[in-house]
Amino acid sequence: MAPSELARFEALVLPHLDAAYTLARYLMDNDDDAHDVAQEALLRALKYFDGFRGDDARAWVLAIVRNACHTWQRTGRSHPVAVEFNEELHSGAVGDEHPEAALLRAADREAVRGAVAALPLEFREVIILREVQGLSYKEIGEIAEIPVGTVMSRLSRARRRLARALSSVARERS
Amino acid sequence: MTCKDFEAQLDAYIDNELPPAVVGEMTEHLDACAACARSHERQLALRRALTQHAPALQAPPGLRASIRQAIRAQIRPAATPRLPEWRWLAAAAVLVGVVAGTWRVATTRARAEALTDALLASHVRSLLGSHLLDVASSDQHTVKPWFNGKLDYSPSVYDLAGRGYPLLGGRLDYVANGAVAALVYGRRQHVISVFLWPAERGPTAGPATVTRQGYHMLHWIAPDYAYWVVSDLGSTELREFTQLLQRADSAAARPDGR
Repeated sequence: MAPSELARFEALVLPHLDAAYTLARYLMDNDDDAHDVAQEALLRALKYFDGFRGDDARAWVLAIVRNACHTWQRTGRSHPVAVEFNEELHSGAVGDEHPEAALLRAADREAVRGAVAALPLEFREVIILREVQGLSYKEIGEIAEIPVGTVMSRLSRARRRLARALSSVARERS
Repeated sequence: MTCKDFEAQLDAYIDNELPPAVVGEMTEHLDACAACARSHERQLALRRALTQHAPALQAPPGLRASIRQAIRAQIRPAATPRLPEWRWLAAAAVLVGVVAGTWRVATTRARAEALTDALLASHVRSLLGSHLLDVASSDQHTVKPWFNGKLDYSPSVYDLAGRGYPLLGGRLDYVANGAVAALVYGRRQHVISVFLWPAERGPTAGPATVTRQGYHMLHWIAPDYAYWVVSDLGSTELREFTQLLQRADSAAARPDGR
């Protein structure tokens, strides 16, 4: 690749390395797989960068990461890891009026990550792209290759699952 | 709006993905309906839990390093033939001869060479992927102010994209005489580094053109600045580029700006 293309890659793609890793880490089951899949995706991005003519490098690279994660999961290259739940839960103030909201407020880190990790991949990716990376429905649709309407319905279903999982964890503990 | 409609659009409402007219209706319903207000609060609680406990992450340093290494590997030509050992010895002998030869070069010339060496090294190093740009922008009004506070002078940055030399950005670099501005322009596949520093800071002596290892280096003194331009671009085009820079400089120096 020509030096100017490499400079363009550095300027356009490398700033999104953290975002790429974040997506990989939440879509894969452990740090090692996330590292490997993110690396593979970035190298693929480097290889095909010549063909990138769009203006949204972040969405472009996230789409590559997302596809790499799917491929890994499909081919069973990753090592499944049991989802761990922390025994401890912060006992936040539980108001009487909105019990479920209070339960959600009481959710701790392990419970949240556990609930996210337990989501099926197609739900997990829209949640991460929206909640962690703050992308618009349109961008998410481009990355996950689904219509905006599907983005909306998947997000909604994913959140219902998360809310259910978190409240039931909290209820068990209380 | 019915509760069913509200529920169906609640996600998009919180995600700011609804048209303004619908947002108004949603807000009205939210104020009027206690049950829907509770759903709304549940949703917000869930999002707060996610924001708090499922943060964005940083790529591990090892990952960043391996990507940078892959970029460097792309620049280094893949075909670096492995020489048999006797050829290494022969190469070493030649090198010793070269070093011994260089030893005898007059000191003034050696100083000028040290400078061109440093500039060429800076340019090549930047291409190796470690440090091409500190500020990546094609906007001169972004690149120029970036140097504020980092240098004791403000380098001239021009938009030459219309002439086929787009601005890629700039970086801070160190050559023999301290911190200098390096502006980076592109030409098709080629990268051009433009180094400049105040002329009174010296050294200003040096040959006007140097060609080394396939790189061309052009040097001139504008009224205020010593300039060095380094690139693997053909010398005709590089000369055209320097003329554009010089013309832009003298246009900027005229009080009426023309």
